[in-house]
Amino acid sequence: MKLVRLTGLLMALLLVNATSAIAQDVVIRNATVLTVTGGTLENTDVLITGGIISEIGKGLRTPRGTEEVDATGKFVMPGIIDAHSHIALSSVNEGSSPVTAEVSMEDVVNPYQIGIYRASAGGVTTSHLMHGSANVIGGQNETVKHRWGSSDPNDLRFEGAPRTIKFALGENPTRVHGRRGTGGTGAIVPATRMGVEQVLRNAFEHGKRYMEAWDAYDAELASNPRAVPPVWNERMEVMADIIRGEVLVHCHSYRADEIVMLTRVLKDYGVDKITFQHANEAFKVAPELAAYGAHASVFSDWWSYKFEVYYSTAYNAAILIRNGVITSINSDSGELNRHLYHEAAKTQRYGNLEDDEALATITINPAIQLGIQDRVGSIEIGKDGDIAIFEGHPLSVYAVPEMTFVDGVKVFDRAADPDDVRLEVDPEGAIGQYEGQITSRDHFHDQNEVIDFLEAFGDLEDVITETTHN
Amino acid sequence: MTLLLNLVLAVLMLLPQQQDQKARQGTYAITNARIETVANGTIENGTVVIEGDRIIAVGANVAIPAGAEVIDGTGLQLYPGMIDSGTNLGLNEVGSVDETNDTNEIGDITPHMSALTAVNPNSVAIPVTRVSGVTTVVSESAGGLLPGTAAVINLYGYTAEQMTAGSEMLILNFPQEPSGAAQGWGPQRSAQERKKGYEDAIAKLDEVFDRAELYDRIMTAYAASPAGKAEPVYAPEMDAIRPVLSGDRTLMLKVNAEGDILKAIDWVKERELPNVVFSGVSEGWRVADKLAEAGIACMVGPVLATPTRSSDRYDKAYANAGLLSQAGVKVAIRSGETENVRNLPFNAGFAAAYGMGQEEALKAVTLNAAEVLGISDDYGSIEVGKKANMFISTGDPFEPSTQILALFIDGFNVPMESRHIDLYREFLNRDEGRLQPMEVLPADN
Amino acid sequence: MSEATAIRGARIVQAPGRVIESGTIVIRNGVIESVGRRVDIPYDARIIDGDSLTVYAGFIDALTNVGVPESDDDNPTGSVPDRSNPTFERAGIAPQKDVRMHLDASDKSVASHRQRGFTAALAAPRGRMLPGQTSLVLLTGDKASDMVLPGTRPVLFEFEGAQGVYPGTPMGMMAQFRQLYREADRRMGVQAMYDANPSGLSRPPYDEVHAAFFSVIEGDTPIISFTSDALELRRALSLSDELGFNLMAAGLNQGFDVMDELMSRGIPTIVTLDIPDRPDWAAKADQDSLDQVLASYNDDTRTATFRDIEAEKRNLEAKQLVARTEFLTMPARFAEAGIPFAFTTYGLSVNVMRRNMMEYIANGLSEDDALSALTVDAAAILGLSNVMGSLDAGKMANLVVTDGNYFDKDSKVTIVFVDGNQHLTGDCSGSGCSDKFSWGN
Repeated sequence: MKLVRLTGLLMALLLVNATSAIAQDVVIRNATVLTVTGGTLENTDVLITGGIISEIGKGLRTPRGTEEVDATGKFVMPGIIDAHSHIALSSVNEGSSPVTAEVSMEDVVNPYQIGIYRASAGGVTTSHLMHGSANVIGGQNETVKHRWGSSDPNDLRFEGAPRTIKFALGENPTRVHGRRGTGGTGAIVPATRMGVEQVLRNAFEHGKRYMEAWDAYDAELASNPRAVPPVWNERMEVMADIIRGEVLVHCHSYRADEIVMLTRVLKDYGVDKITFQHANEAFKVAPELAAYGAHASVFSDWWSYKFEVYYSTAYNAAILIRNGVITSINSDSGELNRHLYHEAAKTQRYGNLEDDEALATITINPAIQLGIQDRVGSIEIGKDGDIAIFEGHPLSVYAVPEMTFVDGVKVFDRAADPDDVRLEVDPEGAIGQYEGQITSRDHFHDQNEVIDFLEAFGDLEDVITETTHN
Repeated sequence: MTLLLNLVLAVLMLLPQQQDQKARQGTYAITNARIETVANGTIENGTVVIEGDRIIAVGANVAIPAGAEVIDGTGLQLYPGMIDSGTNLGLNEVGSVDETNDTNEIGDITPHMSALTAVNPNSVAIPVTRVSGVTTVVSESAGGLLPGTAAVINLYGYTAEQMTAGSEMLILNFPQEPSGAAQGWGPQRSAQERKKGYEDAIAKLDEVFDRAELYDRIMTAYAASPAGKAEPVYAPEMDAIRPVLSGDRTLMLKVNAEGDILKAIDWVKERELPNVVFSGVSEGWRVADKLAEAGIACMVGPVLATPTRSSDRYDKAYANAGLLSQAGVKVAIRSGETENVRNLPFNAGFAAAYGMGQEEALKAVTLNAAEVLGISDDYGSIEVGKKANMFISTGDPFEPSTQILALFIDGFNVPMESRHIDLYREFLNRDEGRLQPMEVLPADN
Repeated sequence: MSEATAIRGARIVQAPGRVIESGTIVIRNGVIESVGRRVDIPYDARIIDGDSLTVYAGFIDALTNVGVPESDDDNPTGSVPDRSNPTFERAGIAPQKDVRMHLDASDKSVASHRQRGFTAALAAPRGRMLPGQTSLVLLTGDKASDMVLPGTRPVLFEFEGAQGVYPGTPMGMMAQFRQLYREADRRMGVQAMYDANPSGLSRPPYDEVHAAFFSVIEGDTPIISFTSDALELRRALSLSDELGFNLMAAGLNQGFDVMDELMSRGIPTIVTLDIPDRPDWAAKADQDSLDQVLASYNDDTRTATFRDIEAEKRNLEAKQLVARTEFLTMPARFAEAGIPFAFTTYGLSVNVMRRNMMEYIANGLSEDDALSALTVDAAAILGLSNVMGSLDAGKMANLVVTDGNYFDKDSKVTIVFVDGNQHLTGDCSGSGCSDKFSWGN
């Protein structure tokens, strides 16, 4: 019967895999292995067993059934980690309030988004999906692996990765909240960098008191069964967790003064895990950052797209690294994330970093900043089988990523790339349409931010002029 | 690596700019360098002699004029200055600060707006760009159907007169047929509204060019013999279009989508426009044969971009320039950047890696670009008689690890200074003293 | 109506698979008095000759705004002093709003629904994130109170962000939902403590929004989520997993990607009658040629140069058909997997109900499974099995009478009985016949 045939046929054609890929053991043979933490190994094999790097060496003997990948003449590096991304998200900014610690990107991971695959095709295996920069304290971020092919957001989760949260200083939160037009969405604090500090202090102080109130309640409950619990507050729960050190802070920031300001505030609340994101002027206070133990996650070369990045330099990463600040290069873009190896290479043009230093900015350094350095970020026995294979040295402009493995599962193979890999297809609209491009100058997150604002706010004109040029 | 650096340092000590921070013309001989002429292959251990603004000698055995300042290029490479055929450099300064942005004039038909007028010779981004070896760019106005004339400028000079490379192009934003796919951000218009808007734009385009042809006829007749004829009306818009009708000025037609490109090819043919190049052309590979057949050169890019369709292979934007080139289209590469035009060589490098090859990619940012822009008599290669736009590097300028060491624009030996380098010098070892001596080069640490 | 009505000699589909080819059904006082092959027609019964008629149990729309007129309050907008902290009302948070206060028996949607064979529904208030409490209604009666049925009253939840105020995004709504739920949980505990012995305790805070969650937390009132894609559905499921409330999942567009999760939880499932339109390029194609396009889909098509453009286009068409077929075959796959489900017209014009259901049937859903979704399974999901969903003696007299197999294209609904009230729908000459109706309009 026709109906049965159709359903049966469909089962064979489903766009999304019903089950997650299962890690097959794989050995990558005879490569130049850029371990990042343990030097470069020539003519070396890497064996991945059960999704974990189990052996590194020459002429490895492998269990029967192990998939062989001949990487003779090729370069193998750890899967790239993007410490700042907004791909694969249904929404980016809950831009309606200056403090939204309670929201989480975990709730809005979109596993269908083509950007996941495109980044994998650039050797990226882990991305830090961040809340936008509209709010002083934005939402919690989500660290994911690029496990393309599943429709279940949970399959992408980087199990065991520490919680992180987005903060934002400077022009974005002051523009979004303090310098909005009139009408339904009028101005609220902060309109200045002074206000930003007070919004932070206010949130931390309330978080601290909230934490103390619950601690007091828990203590009282032991002796008084009629103790009354404090009012529940999702937002303050997260602030308390930050103070307890359970949530790593990643702060959108540009100017040197605001960077130092945040270290002062954090110090007052005993928070020491801080990565400054973008941080175009971090180089000006590199010694202060090093002294605080703060990290930086920066652009390779973006500047001048707004006033607070006018006095910046592409030598930022090099200056920071030379001053002892652990520094990563991130994309913040659905375009740049496809060639982070090239963005890292620019630290050689702008500051002459050694190869391993440059590679560290997209591997072990972001891993440290995300608290996942025990799992990923270098090629070492016991680490996850997250690997990128390149034709050509990855720091060369002519490098071409050829294969990418996540947990030993091949998620990208240039030779077998079927062009149209969409998991989700519009079932009714026109096909084969020009959709426009994201280019290396576009700030991807800002496009998403605009969409969010359009969802959240009615006043289109106002919003567009305010956020398209970020 | 250290050896090379020492070498570089030794060479640079010889460079006149290190003693004198002003750009200077003079007689320079760059000796023992690997010269990538682009026009005539590579010369190992060659010499280039510059006198004033021109190259007066190129070759393996060239006599060095008496009094020439000699720059020993041993172990180094000499390239023609790179040309970016599509930027907004000099027109925009700080992206989000409207007052510093001069690309968009009011109105849909403003072909008389001249980018050369508004290019700020002192834009902070200009030195940041030229120290990468990009010496010449097209700077474009934007917005509307006919936003104005784009300027072709050299990246050194204090006035527009000093900076112009002698060419301007009329920009046409070819109307974009509305897509049936999901619309991007911004206020949503209905499908009918968008279709109507498109049809109106096409009609308007034809109407403007019809008027321009009429105006041209009147002006030509009036110029031939004004007697007994009324003085024609003042119509600067029409005046700006006239040279495109005659072919004296190139029409830079910006177009990206497959269908729009096909439509634009027909439109150019129907109007018998003699001198047209396409710019952008991100879906050019889809109709590469048609573009080749029409003989329309393309200024392609940015290369560093996502595919135009979610169903496209992930690397299609990287491959586009090469696919066009292989189909027989003359290709120049554009970055589409403002403050990061310095990424032009990397755009070219990616195009090279994804099918174009290094030689063609280098041409696409040098000689091809010069030809497409109509400035190849003066620029685009290292040849005797051409203007001295070139740079000395430690290697392939497309490679990020390569350092650009010295720079000539119109024969000026331009200091390797920029805000980015200055800040590096000031802050690398901040606690040891605010200002580092000039001997510390960006390449050093 | 005290008199009885008998439909005599009709084809009676008591329930899917339980058919009396020629029988009689008698209803009296809003109740099915008897049904069977041989039934004695009471002396006082008005007789309808059912010779060419088929009788089904009345259809049930498991989520709809039927009988709820639109109002300016549905989408609160306008200026607020602090958009980060709007009133609940302004933020679209109104779980306490009772749809029974907003029903209008004379609203045109009631007749319009009934003309399609719907006799009962779960009616929802209009609004945004938490529009309010739904109610079971009968699609008959002169005034709102006539319509209301006792029973489950799930609280509706949708991912419709507030306009210009917190929370505006899906993640904001997720966080706000957790906040409301957990604070309500705390308040319930404090209230219980206070009720037991108020001595020395401050009076617990009260507001109707949090109070509306009490019965949800206690498990007496489910949350009914309406979701329009797979990710929204997953978000609703994860809230339910996390907080522990009973969830009814409605909408389920793209639910084919979440089938395993729906099955493992066994939650009540309500499928939208919304389907993707036919793409323009396929508008005029016949089914066989479309099947050929579908079967030609190749998931490894390479489009290397301009030479491959035509092949690419054909494959894009095929892939789109695959995608569209995933939507259209979803109910069939639910049925095959043994997931019982009801249908909903929520957010749709009821006019498309039959056309779209026929598309589901054309894509593998059996007529019996479709009928189950409209009747017996819908009744079960809404807790109405003891009063409706099948034509059995003792159940409420909700009947759909057609002039042929309901699933035949040319058949028409001619009479609908709701709670025993007769509503004529087709062309007729008798009194009480007001609604003009024919399929396809």
